[in-house]
Amino acid sequence: MSLIDDFLARWHEYRRPGYYEEFDYHWTMTVDLDRCTGCEACVTACQAENNTPIVGEDAIARGRHMQWMRVERYWEGEYPDVKLRAIPMFCQHCDAAPCETVCPVSATYHNQDGLNAQIYNRCIGTRSCAVYCPYEVRYFNYNNHHWDEPLDQQLNPDVSVREKGVMEKCTFCIQRIRQAKDAAKDDGRRRVQDGEVQPACVQTCPTEALVFGDRKDPDSAVSLMLGNERAYTVLEELNTDPSVVYLKKVDADAA
Amino acid sequence: MGVSIVPTLKVLKPVGMIVGVGFVGLLVGYFANAAFFPGTTPVQPIEFSHTIHAGDYEIPCLYCHTEARRSPSAGVPSVNKCMGCHAIVATDSPLVREVARHYENAEPIPWIKVHDLPDFVHFPHNRHVAAGLECQECHGPVETMDRVTRMAPNEMGQCLTCHRDMEVEHGIDCLTCHK
Repeated sequence: MSLIDDFLARWHEYRRPGYYEEFDYHWTMTVDLDRCTGCEACVTACQAENNTPIVGEDAIARGRHMQWMRVERYWEGEYPDVKLRAIPMFCQHCDAAPCETVCPVSATYHNQDGLNAQIYNRCIGTRSCAVYCPYEVRYFNYNNHHWDEPLDQQLNPDVSVREKGVMEKCTFCIQRIRQAKDAAKDDGRRRVQDGEVQPACVQTCPTEALVFGDRKDPDSAVSLMLGNERAYTVLEELNTDPSVVYLKKVDADAA
Repeated sequence: MGVSIVPTLKVLKPVGMIVGVGFVGLLVGYFANAAFFPGTTPVQPIEFSHTIHAGDYEIPCLYCHTEARRSPSAGVPSVNKCMGCHAIVATDSPLVREVARHYENAEPIPWIKVHDLPDFVHFPHNRHVAAGLECQECHGPVETMDRVTRMAPNEMGQCLTCHRDMEVEHGIDCLTCHK
Protein backbone atom coordinates (compact mmCIF):
# COMPACT_ATOMS: atom_id res chain seq x y z
CA MET A 1 0.00 0.00 0.00
CA SER A 2 2.77 2.37 0.96
CA LEU A 3 4.51 1.63 -2.34
CA ILE A 4 1.49 2.83 -4.29
CA ASP A 5 1.16 5.90 -2.10
CA ASP A 6 4.82 6.65 -2.63
CA PHE A 7 4.45 6.20 -6.38
CA LEU A 8 1.42 8.48 -6.51
CA ALA A 9 3.14 11.11 -4.39
CA ARG A 10 6.22 11.15 -6.62
CA TRP A 11 4.32 10.78 -9.89
CA HIS A 12 5.42 14.15 -11.22
CA GLU A 13 9.04 13.35 -10.51
CA TYR A 14 8.79 10.28 -12.68
CA ARG A 15 7.32 12.35 -15.47
CA ARG A 16 10.41 14.62 -15.33
CA PRO A 17 8.73 17.93 -16.13
CA GLY A 18 12.02 19.71 -16.85
CA TYR A 19 13.24 17.06 -19.28
CA TYR A 20 12.66 19.09 -22.42
CA GLU A 21 14.40 22.17 -21.05
CA GLU A 22 17.79 20.73 -21.94
CA PHE A 23 16.88 20.52 -25.61
CA ASP A 24 18.14 23.07 -28.14
CA TYR A 25 14.94 24.09 -29.83
CA HIS A 26 11.34 23.37 -29.15
CA TRP A 27 9.60 23.73 -32.47
CA THR A 28 6.00 24.72 -31.97
CA MET A 29 3.13 25.63 -34.22
CA THR A 30 0.06 27.63 -33.33
CA VAL A 31 -3.19 27.43 -35.27
CA ASP A 32 -5.49 30.43 -34.90
CA LEU A 33 -8.93 28.95 -35.59
CA ASP A 34 -10.38 32.45 -35.69
CA ARG A 35 -8.36 33.12 -38.82
CA CYS A 36 -8.70 29.66 -40.42
CA THR A 37 -11.24 29.63 -43.23
CA GLY A 38 -10.88 25.93 -44.01
CA CYS A 39 -9.63 26.61 -47.54
CA GLU A 40 -7.23 23.60 -47.44
CA ALA A 41 -4.40 25.44 -49.15
CA CYS A 42 -2.15 24.02 -46.40
CA VAL A 43 -3.21 20.49 -47.35
CA THR A 44 -2.24 21.05 -50.97
CA ALA A 45 1.05 22.69 -50.03
CA CYS A 46 1.92 19.79 -47.74
CA GLN A 47 1.13 17.30 -50.46
CA ALA A 48 3.37 19.08 -52.94
CA GLU A 49 6.24 19.60 -50.51
CA ASN A 50 6.42 16.16 -48.97
CA ASN A 51 5.93 13.87 -52.00
CA THR A 52 2.68 12.56 -50.60
CA PRO A 53 1.21 10.14 -53.13
CA ILE A 54 -2.26 10.31 -54.59
CA VAL A 55 -3.57 6.88 -53.67
CA GLY A 56 -6.66 6.80 -55.86
CA GLU A 57 -10.34 6.20 -55.45
CA ASP A 58 -10.19 2.49 -54.57
CA ALA A 59 -7.63 2.96 -51.80
CA ILE A 60 -9.59 5.83 -50.27
CA ALA A 61 -12.74 3.69 -50.26
CA ARG A 62 -10.77 1.14 -48.23
CA GLY A 63 -9.63 3.80 -45.76
CA ARG A 64 -6.07 3.94 -47.06
CA HIS A 65 -5.91 7.65 -47.72
CA MET A 66 -2.62 9.48 -47.49
CA GLN A 67 -2.64 13.03 -46.26
CA TRP A 68 -0.17 14.35 -43.69
CA MET A 69 -2.41 17.30 -43.02
CA ARG A 70 -6.16 17.41 -43.11
CA VAL A 71 -8.83 19.97 -42.26
CA GLU A 72 -11.51 18.44 -40.09
CA ARG A 73 -14.97 19.91 -40.48
CA TYR A 74 -17.52 20.08 -37.68
CA TRP A 75 -21.03 21.26 -38.39
CA GLU A 76 -22.98 22.83 -35.54
CA GLY A 77 -26.68 23.58 -35.30
CA GLU A 78 -29.69 22.67 -37.45
CA TYR A 79 -30.40 23.89 -40.96
CA PRO A 80 -30.70 26.77 -41.85
CA ASP A 81 -28.89 27.97 -38.76
CA VAL A 82 -25.67 25.96 -39.24
CA LYS A 83 -22.11 26.89 -38.47
CA LEU A 84 -18.94 25.32 -39.84
CA ARG A 85 -15.90 24.84 -37.70
CA ALA A 86 -12.70 23.89 -39.52
CA ILE A 87 -9.78 22.48 -37.56
CA PRO A 88 -6.48 21.72 -39.32
CA MET A 89 -5.13 18.46 -37.91
CA PHE A 90 -1.62 17.11 -38.37
CA CYS A 91 1.06 15.45 -36.23
CA GLN A 92 1.02 17.22 -32.88
CA HIS A 93 4.67 16.29 -32.10
CA CYS A 94 3.65 15.37 -28.55
CA ASP A 95 6.34 15.61 -25.89
CA ALA A 96 4.81 12.55 -24.23
CA ALA A 97 3.91 10.80 -27.45
CA PRO A 98 2.04 7.50 -27.21
CA CYS A 99 3.37 6.44 -30.62
CA GLU A 100 7.01 6.58 -29.55
CA THR A 101 6.70 4.19 -26.64
CA VAL A 102 5.04 1.43 -28.67
CA CYS A 103 7.42 1.28 -31.63
CA PRO A 104 9.25 -2.06 -31.33
CA VAL A 105 12.21 -0.91 -33.42
CA SER A 106 12.48 2.74 -32.29
CA ALA A 107 11.72 3.99 -35.78
CA THR A 108 9.88 6.87 -34.17
CA TYR A 109 11.51 8.77 -31.36
CA HIS A 110 11.85 12.25 -29.93
CA ASN A 111 14.90 14.18 -31.03
CA GLN A 112 16.73 17.06 -29.38
CA ASP A 113 14.64 19.69 -31.17
CA GLY A 114 11.42 18.42 -29.65
CA LEU A 115 10.40 16.79 -32.92
CA ASN A 116 8.63 13.49 -33.19
CA ALA A 117 10.87 11.84 -35.76
CA GLN A 118 9.99 9.05 -38.13
CA ILE A 119 12.84 7.11 -39.74
CA TYR A 120 11.50 5.26 -42.76
CA ASN A 121 14.46 2.90 -43.13
CA ARG A 122 13.97 1.59 -39.65
CA CYS A 123 10.19 1.18 -39.82
CA ILE A 124 9.04 -2.42 -40.21
CA GLY A 125 5.36 -1.53 -40.55
CA THR A 126 3.78 -2.93 -37.42
CA ARG A 127 1.34 0.00 -37.50
CA SER A 128 1.13 0.03 -33.70
CA CYS A 129 2.01 3.73 -33.64
CA ALA A 130 -1.03 4.50 -35.78
CA VAL A 131 -3.19 2.52 -33.37
CA TYR A 132 -1.88 4.41 -30.36
CA CYS A 133 -1.98 7.89 -31.92
CA PRO A 134 -5.07 9.62 -30.48
CA TYR A 135 -5.03 12.24 -33.27
CA GLU A 136 -5.12 9.71 -36.14
CA VAL A 137 -2.41 11.50 -38.06
CA ARG A 138 -0.14 8.60 -38.99
CA TYR A 139 -0.51 7.12 -42.45
CA PHE A 140 0.63 3.76 -43.71
CA ASN A 141 1.90 2.96 -47.19
CA TYR A 142 -0.15 0.00 -48.29
CA ASN A 143 1.34 0.14 -51.78
CA ASN A 144 4.30 1.39 -53.70
CA HIS A 145 3.17 4.56 -55.39
CA HIS A 146 4.31 5.88 -58.70
CA TRP A 147 4.10 9.24 -60.36
CA ASP A 148 3.23 9.39 -64.05
CA GLU A 149 5.25 11.46 -66.49
CA PRO A 150 5.77 14.39 -66.07
CA LEU A 151 4.56 14.45 -62.46
CA ASP A 152 7.66 12.57 -61.27
CA GLN A 153 9.65 15.67 -62.16
CA GLN A 154 7.91 17.66 -59.43
CA LEU A 155 9.02 15.38 -56.57
CA ASN A 156 10.94 17.18 -53.85
CA PRO A 157 14.53 15.88 -53.85
CA ASP A 158 14.96 16.82 -50.17
CA VAL A 159 12.24 14.40 -49.07
CA SER A 160 12.53 10.67 -49.59
CA VAL A 161 9.81 8.86 -51.50
CA ARG A 162 8.42 6.32 -49.09
CA GLU A 163 8.09 2.66 -49.96
CA LYS A 164 5.39 0.12 -49.32
CA GLY A 165 5.17 -1.01 -45.72
CA VAL A 166 6.34 2.06 -43.81
CA MET A 167 4.50 4.56 -41.68
CA GLU A 168 4.72 8.25 -42.43
CA LYS A 169 3.48 11.50 -40.95
CA CYS A 170 4.05 15.24 -40.69
CA THR A 171 7.70 16.11 -39.99
CA PHE A 172 7.26 19.86 -39.46
CA CYS A 173 9.11 20.02 -42.82
CA ILE A 174 12.37 18.73 -41.33
CA GLN A 175 14.14 19.41 -44.64
CA ARG A 176 13.47 23.14 -44.26
CA ILE A 177 14.57 23.15 -40.61
CA ARG A 178 17.76 21.36 -41.61
CA GLN A 179 18.37 23.82 -44.43
CA ALA A 180 17.90 26.79 -42.09
CA LYS A 181 20.32 25.26 -39.58
CA ASP A 182 22.90 24.72 -42.32
CA ALA A 183 22.47 28.30 -43.48
CA ALA A 184 22.87 29.54 -39.89
CA LYS A 185 26.08 27.55 -39.51
CA ASP A 186 27.39 28.89 -42.82
CA ASP A 187 26.80 32.40 -41.50
CA GLY A 188 28.62 31.52 -38.30
CA ARG A 189 25.53 31.82 -36.16
CA ARG A 190 24.75 29.45 -33.32
CA ARG A 191 20.97 29.45 -33.63
CA VAL A 192 18.31 29.75 -36.25
CA GLN A 193 16.52 33.08 -36.03
CA ASP A 194 12.78 33.43 -35.72
CA GLY A 195 11.00 33.41 -39.07
CA GLU A 196 13.79 31.62 -40.96
CA VAL A 197 11.96 28.31 -40.92
CA GLN A 198 8.51 28.02 -42.38
CA PRO A 199 6.89 24.68 -43.10
CA ALA A 200 5.02 24.50 -46.40
CA CYS A 201 1.62 24.85 -44.73
CA VAL A 202 2.64 27.98 -42.81
CA GLN A 203 4.13 29.53 -45.92
CA THR A 204 0.97 28.91 -47.90
CA CYS A 205 -1.73 29.91 -45.39
CA PRO A 206 -3.42 32.97 -46.93
CA THR A 207 -4.84 34.23 -43.64
CA GLU A 208 -1.68 33.53 -41.62
CA ALA A 209 -3.61 31.31 -39.27
CA LEU A 210 -0.57 29.07 -38.82
CA VAL A 211 2.53 30.34 -37.04
CA PHE A 212 5.68 28.28 -36.64
CA GLY A 213 8.72 28.93 -34.51
CA ASP A 214 10.90 28.09 -31.56
CA ARG A 215 9.23 28.13 -28.15
CA LYS A 216 12.63 28.46 -26.45
CA ASP A 217 13.01 31.95 -27.92
CA PRO A 218 10.81 34.20 -25.73
CA ASP A 219 10.49 36.87 -28.45
CA SER A 220 9.51 34.58 -31.31
CA ALA A 221 6.12 35.03 -32.94
CA VAL A 222 4.99 31.65 -31.70
CA SER A 223 5.92 32.41 -28.08
CA LEU A 224 3.80 35.55 -28.21
CA MET A 225 0.87 33.50 -29.52
CA LEU A 226 1.22 30.96 -26.70
CA GLY A 227 0.45 33.64 -24.12
CA ASN A 228 -2.96 34.18 -25.69
CA GLU A 229 -5.85 33.33 -23.38
CA ARG A 230 -7.59 31.43 -26.20
CA ALA A 231 -4.76 28.88 -26.39
CA TYR A 232 -5.56 25.21 -25.85
CA THR A 233 -4.25 21.83 -26.96
CA VAL A 234 -6.36 19.13 -28.50
CA LEU A 235 -7.25 16.15 -26.26
CA GLU A 236 -5.50 17.79 -23.33
CA GLU A 237 -6.92 15.19 -20.94
CA LEU A 238 -4.66 12.51 -22.46
CA ASN A 239 -1.53 14.30 -21.18
CA THR A 240 0.25 13.92 -24.51
CA ASP A 241 1.61 17.46 -24.16
CA PRO A 242 1.42 18.41 -27.86
CA SER A 243 3.69 20.94 -29.56
CA VAL A 244 0.80 22.23 -31.64
CA VAL A 245 -1.34 24.80 -29.84
CA TYR A 246 -4.73 25.90 -31.11
CA LEU A 247 -6.33 29.27 -30.46
CA LYS A 248 -10.05 28.98 -29.90
CA LYS A 249 -12.47 30.44 -32.41
CA VAL A 250 -14.37 33.46 -31.15
CA ASP A 251 -18.07 33.59 -31.91
CA ALA A 252 -19.36 37.08 -32.49
CA ASP A 253 -22.91 36.15 -31.47
CA ALA A 254 -21.96 33.90 -28.53
CA ALA A 255 -20.98 36.67 -26.14
CA MET B 1 49.96 -49.63 -27.95
CA GLY B 2 50.65 -46.98 -30.60
CA VAL B 3 48.26 -44.23 -31.63
CA SER B 4 46.86 -44.66 -35.13
CA ILE B 5 46.57 -41.59 -37.38
CA VAL B 6 43.86 -43.23 -39.49
CA PRO B 7 40.91 -41.69 -37.58
CA THR B 8 42.52 -38.24 -37.87
CA LEU B 9 42.94 -38.67 -41.63
CA LYS B 10 39.32 -39.79 -41.91
CA VAL B 11 38.28 -36.50 -40.34
CA LEU B 12 40.76 -34.38 -42.28
CA LYS B 13 39.64 -35.67 -45.68
CA PRO B 14 36.10 -34.18 -45.62
CA VAL B 15 37.40 -31.03 -43.93
CA GLY B 16 39.95 -30.63 -46.72
CA MET B 17 37.23 -31.19 -49.31
CA ILE B 18 35.01 -28.52 -47.77
CA VAL B 19 37.84 -25.99 -47.49
CA GLY B 20 38.99 -26.69 -51.04
CA VAL B 21 35.55 -26.39 -52.59
CA GLY B 22 34.91 -23.26 -50.51
CA PHE B 23 38.15 -21.66 -51.69
CA VAL B 24 37.44 -22.41 -55.36
CA GLY B 25 33.91 -20.99 -54.86
CA LEU B 26 35.36 -17.86 -53.31
CA LEU B 27 37.70 -17.28 -56.25
CA VAL B 28 34.97 -17.91 -58.83
CA GLY B 29 32.57 -15.65 -56.92
CA TYR B 30 35.12 -12.86 -56.66
CA PHE B 31 35.85 -12.75 -60.37
CA ALA B 32 32.21 -13.25 -61.31
CA ASN B 33 31.31 -10.33 -59.08
CA ALA B 34 33.98 -8.15 -60.65
CA ALA B 35 32.89 -9.18 -64.16
CA PHE B 36 29.12 -8.94 -63.81
CA PHE B 37 28.75 -6.14 -61.27
CA PRO B 38 31.26 -3.54 -62.37
CA GLY B 39 29.33 -0.76 -60.62
CA THR B 40 32.24 0.16 -58.41
CA THR B 41 34.46 0.97 -61.40
CA PRO B 42 32.27 2.10 -64.31
CA VAL B 43 33.76 2.76 -67.75
CA GLN B 44 33.15 6.43 -68.45
CA PRO B 45 32.09 7.65 -71.92
CA ILE B 46 35.38 9.54 -72.21
CA GLU B 47 38.46 8.05 -70.54
CA PHE B 48 39.07 10.99 -68.24
CA SER B 49 42.14 10.43 -66.07
CA HIS B 50 42.23 11.88 -62.58
CA THR B 51 45.89 10.78 -62.39
CA ILE B 52 46.87 13.34 -65.01
CA HIS B 53 44.66 16.18 -63.79
CA ALA B 54 44.61 15.86 -60.00
CA GLY B 55 47.80 13.80 -59.62
CA ASP B 56 50.43 15.03 -62.10
CA TYR B 57 49.23 18.62 -62.55
CA GLU B 58 47.88 18.92 -58.99
CA ILE B 59 44.71 20.73 -59.92
CA PRO B 60 42.68 21.10 -56.69
CA CYS B 61 39.47 19.04 -56.53
CA LEU B 62 37.39 22.15 -55.91
CA TYR B 63 38.66 23.83 -59.08
CA CYS B 64 36.46 21.59 -61.22
CA HIS B 65 33.99 20.28 -58.60
CA THR B 66 33.38 23.82 -57.46
CA GLU B 67 29.77 23.26 -56.43
CA ALA B 68 30.92 21.11 -53.50
CA ARG B 69 31.85 24.33 -51.73
CA ARG B 70 28.46 25.98 -51.88
CA SER B 71 25.80 23.39 -52.57
CA PRO B 72 24.66 20.09 -51.07
CA SER B 73 25.51 18.35 -54.35
CA ALA B 74 29.15 18.31 -55.47
CA GLY B 75 28.18 18.27 -59.12
CA VAL B 76 30.10 17.35 -62.22
CA PRO B 77 31.93 20.10 -64.10
CA SER B 78 30.26 21.30 -67.26
CA VAL B 79 31.78 20.80 -70.71
CA ASN B 80 32.30 24.55 -70.69
CA LYS B 81 34.68 24.17 -67.76
CA CYS B 82 36.65 21.46 -69.58
CA MET B 83 36.99 23.70 -72.61
CA GLY B 84 38.19 26.54 -70.39
CA CYS B 85 41.59 24.84 -70.38
CA HIS B 86 41.31 22.52 -73.36
CA ALA B 87 40.63 25.26 -75.87
CA ILE B 88 44.43 25.74 -75.66
CA VAL B 89 45.80 22.72 -73.78
CA ALA B 90 46.34 19.33 -75.49
CA THR B 91 44.02 20.09 -78.39
CA ASP B 92 45.58 17.28 -80.46
CA SER B 93 44.53 14.49 -78.09
CA PRO B 94 41.69 12.36 -79.49
CA LEU B 95 39.98 12.41 -76.08
CA VAL B 96 40.05 16.20 -75.93
CA ARG B 97 38.72 16.31 -79.49
CA GLU B 98 35.83 14.18 -78.27
CA VAL B 99 35.18 16.72 -75.50
CA ALA B 100 35.36 19.52 -78.09
CA ARG B 101 32.80 17.70 -80.23
CA HIS B 102 30.39 17.69 -77.27
CA TYR B 103 31.13 21.36 -76.76
CA GLU B 104 30.40 22.27 -80.39
CA ASN B 105 27.18 20.23 -80.40
CA ALA B 106 26.23 21.85 -77.09
CA GLU B 107 25.44 18.52 -75.47
CA PRO B 108 26.54 17.29 -72.02
CA ILE B 109 28.91 14.37 -71.61
CA PRO B 110 26.91 11.47 -70.06
CA TRP B 111 29.29 10.80 -67.16
CA ILE B 112 28.43 7.83 -64.96
CA LYS B 113 28.09 8.57 -61.24
CA VAL B 114 30.53 6.53 -59.14
CA HIS B 115 29.76 7.67 -55.59
CA ASP B 116 26.01 7.59 -55.35
CA LEU B 117 24.34 7.77 -51.95
CA PRO B 118 20.80 6.43 -51.55
CA ASP B 119 17.96 8.91 -51.96
CA PHE B 120 17.05 8.81 -48.28
CA VAL B 121 20.38 10.28 -47.18
CA HIS B 122 20.90 13.98 -46.67
CA PHE B 123 24.58 14.69 -47.35
CA PRO B 124 25.41 18.39 -47.84
CA HIS B 125 28.85 18.62 -49.49
CA ASN B 126 29.15 22.30 -48.58
CA ARG B 127 28.87 21.62 -44.85
CA HIS B 128 31.49 18.90 -45.01
CA VAL B 129 33.90 20.99 -47.07
CA ALA B 130 33.39 23.85 -44.62
CA ALA B 131 34.21 21.48 -41.75
CA GLY B 132 37.62 20.97 -43.34
CA LEU B 133 37.20 17.39 -44.50
CA GLU B 134 39.55 16.17 -47.21
CA CYS B 135 37.72 14.82 -50.25
CA GLN B 136 39.92 11.70 -50.06
CA GLU B 137 38.48 10.70 -46.69
CA CYS B 138 35.29 9.51 -48.37
CA HIS B 139 36.30 9.24 -52.04
CA GLY B 140 39.66 7.49 -51.62
CA PRO B 141 42.88 8.51 -53.39
CA VAL B 142 41.18 9.72 -56.58
CA GLU B 143 44.36 11.51 -57.74
CA THR B 144 46.00 8.11 -58.28
CA MET B 145 43.10 6.60 -60.22
CA ASP B 146 42.98 6.51 -64.00
CA ARG B 147 39.47 5.14 -63.78
CA VAL B 148 37.67 6.15 -60.58
CA THR B 149 36.73 3.29 -58.26
CA ARG B 150 34.39 3.51 -55.32
CA MET B 151 36.85 2.72 -52.53
CA ALA B 152 34.99 3.60 -49.35
CA PRO B 153 31.75 1.78 -48.60
CA ASN B 154 30.05 5.11 -47.72
CA GLU B 155 27.68 3.30 -45.41
CA MET B 156 25.97 4.48 -42.25
CA GLY B 157 28.74 3.17 -39.99
CA GLN B 158 31.26 5.41 -41.72
CA CYS B 159 29.04 8.48 -41.21
CA LEU B 160 28.49 7.65 -37.53
CA THR B 161 32.15 6.91 -36.79
CA CYS B 162 33.25 10.21 -38.30
CA HIS B 163 30.46 12.18 -36.61
CA ARG B 164 31.44 10.66 -33.26
CA ASP B 165 35.16 11.31 -33.76
CA MET B 166 34.66 14.91 -34.91
CA GLU B 167 32.15 15.45 -32.07
CA VAL B 168 29.56 16.88 -34.42
CA GLU B 169 26.72 18.56 -32.55
CA HIS B 170 23.82 16.08 -32.50
CA GLY B 171 25.81 14.18 -35.12
CA ILE B 172 24.31 10.81 -34.30
CA ASP B 173 20.69 11.96 -34.29
CA CYS B 174 18.87 10.02 -37.03
CA LEU B 175 17.36 13.14 -38.58
CA THR B 176 20.82 14.64 -39.13
CA CYS B 177 21.31 12.37 -42.14
CA HIS B 178 18.02 10.60 -42.80
CA LYS B 179 15.36 12.51 -44.67
